[in-house]
Amino acid sequence: MNQYQLTIKVDDKQVVLERILQVARYRGFLINGMNAKVNTGTNIGTIELMVKSERPIELLVDQINKLIDIKTVKVNKNATQQCDL
Amino acid sequence: MTTEKKQTGGSVLFNVLQQHGVEHVFGYPGGAIMPIYDALYDSDVQHFLCRHEQGAAFSAVGYARASGKVGVCLATSGPGATNLITGLADALADSIPVVAITGQVPTSAMGSDAFQEIDIFGLSLACTKHSFQVTNVNDLPKVLHKAFAIALEGRQGPVLVDIPKDVQLAEVTKSLEDFSQLRNKVKLPPANVGSAIALLSKAKKPVLYVGGGVGMANAIDELRAFSDITKIPSVSTLKGLGAIDPDDDNYLGMLGMHGTKASNIAVQECDLLIAVGARFDDRVTGKLNEFAPHAKIIHFDIDTAEINKRRAADAAILGDLKINLPALAIPLSINDWQEKCQQMKADFGWQYDHPGENIFAPAVLKEISDKMPKNSCVTTDVGQHQMWAAQHMEFDDPSNFLTSGGMGTMGFGIPAAIGAQVSRPTDCIIAVSGDGSFMMNVQELSTIKRFQLPVKILLIDNAKLGMVRQWQDLFFNGRLSETDLSDNPDFIMLATAFDIKAKQITKKSEVSAAVEEMLDHDGPYLLQVKIDAQDNVWPLVPPNTANDQMMESI
Repeated sequence: MNQYQLTIKVDDKQVVLERILQVARYRGFLINGMNAKVNTGTNIGTIELMVKSERPIELLVDQINKLIDIKTVKVNKNATQQCDL
Repeated sequence: MTTEKKQTGGSVLFNVLQQHGVEHVFGYPGGAIMPIYDALYDSDVQHFLCRHEQGAAFSAVGYARASGKVGVCLATSGPGATNLITGLADALADSIPVVAITGQVPTSAMGSDAFQEIDIFGLSLACTKHSFQVTNVNDLPKVLHKAFAIALEGRQGPVLVDIPKDVQLAEVTKSLEDFSQLRNKVKLPPANVGSAIALLSKAKKPVLYVGGGVGMANAIDELRAFSDITKIPSVSTLKGLGAIDPDDDNYLGMLGMHGTKASNIAVQECDLLIAVGARFDDRVTGKLNEFAPHAKIIHFDIDTAEINKRRAADAAILGDLKINLPALAIPLSINDWQEKCQQMKADFGWQYDHPGENIFAPAVLKEISDKMPKNSCVTTDVGQHQMWAAQHMEFDDPSNFLTSGGMGTMGFGIPAAIGAQVSRPTDCIIAVSGDGSFMMNVQELSTIKRFQLPVKILLIDNAKLGMVRQWQDLFFNGRLSETDLSDNPDFIMLATAFDIKAKQITKKSEVSAAVEEMLDHDGPYLLQVKIDAQDNVWPLVPPNTANDQMMESI
């Protein structure tokens, strides 16, 4: 199983965090860490998500990118690693 | 000083609908959506009262699929809203543009477990492309415009707008023109045209795999031109039927679990598979790692997330099919392969010489297909009759065959036919149903009666949940668990109760006259066709099996 860290920039709109979490769960990614904050000046949120899965991370990145309020999704390659279960 | 009447949330809704060209909506009123229904009273938008919110959602889907416009449905809060969910899920699975409006309890009561309160906004996350909850009436016009833009942008889909009752009642204080068009957020990577041309030029045995995306992209002309120039043998998904001209010599029919033998063998043998608006669904591929095992893949799509999702693409062509298909249309030297495919098509053609007096459903469907007027639109429910319709009827446009593909929703056919008939009042609309599916939204016969819609219903009746029965016989040792429907109601009496002319036939010799009577009848009509309960859909690729290992009989 691989562990990945995603950095997601979002417009600070209704339930955007719930949408991301729902997509991650449905597409087969376990969430084992999260940090979220909003810049109240720009109304742009930054969500850091630690996920693990046997599935390729591109699957999740593509699906999150389809959500309407997402600005960018980046995979932090340095934080990607193999892990036990 | 202006004397203009103040706009409320309810009246704004209908103004915006009209700005988007919406003439018809499907719905069901209730407590938390009463201000919207009060505004409807003064609106030019025509409302079709359905008898269940699921019927309203499916009618909106049928309307959208038959017309290419956005389908709109309305429901109240709580159970009204939850009853829409199956229709929204169906629209999401088949990428259908629908805008669903739900009433919600007043904002002051939200979160208090109020009467008929459910978190439909939360529930919508898994069954819509996007959703909104409007808590300030001044945001409503912009949100509604966005809902239409999102429903139609890129890969189409359903959008839900949840509007609390106090927002419906509140007066708008800002200019109604204050909205911005949705930007096209997704930047698609450049189409890999060079790689695709190289793959095409080298291919000796290519197959064109046509999906529902072709019709959604309005790219039928471009696809047929591509097919004419390249002369590549083609196969279709369930939702792609009608995109390729069914009379095209190089067209082999539907592929997949109940696909034609010629289609499935061609795909298994091909060295290049060109997927156009198709997504390698499990009902298409069978055992995925044995699907088209020798093929390189060119994948045309509008949705980045479909590329490499289930099958890696050797060349991805993302974007508008109307632009991208002509870029790859080059003549090919594949005569031997064309001839082989055409020979398979001839060798494995359908047989209609069914023994005995019992009615053979595929032959009935073939006869209707041959006799129905040009530009007829057929809807189906889900099960054996659906697969027989897909196999034995021919369509010249995907908007003339409306079937629940991705979600496989029983109960789709009758309300979808209602939506199709409303959008195309002069076309012949035929709902092909089974006795199991028919009962799932039978209350919509009342909608047919209310609006005197001339929908024709072909009810293929084996007094069974036929497809499940078939699987129980084939894969569960004949243990027929809960698939007997021999206590069905008298369908003729039932239809008659809704002022729908009805007739039952039980013998082959009755088919031709009955089909003609149904098609010639001016109003709604139900033709109940009794068939043998043991009839199966063939061919069948068993689950988790390669597509060339199809069963053709017991």
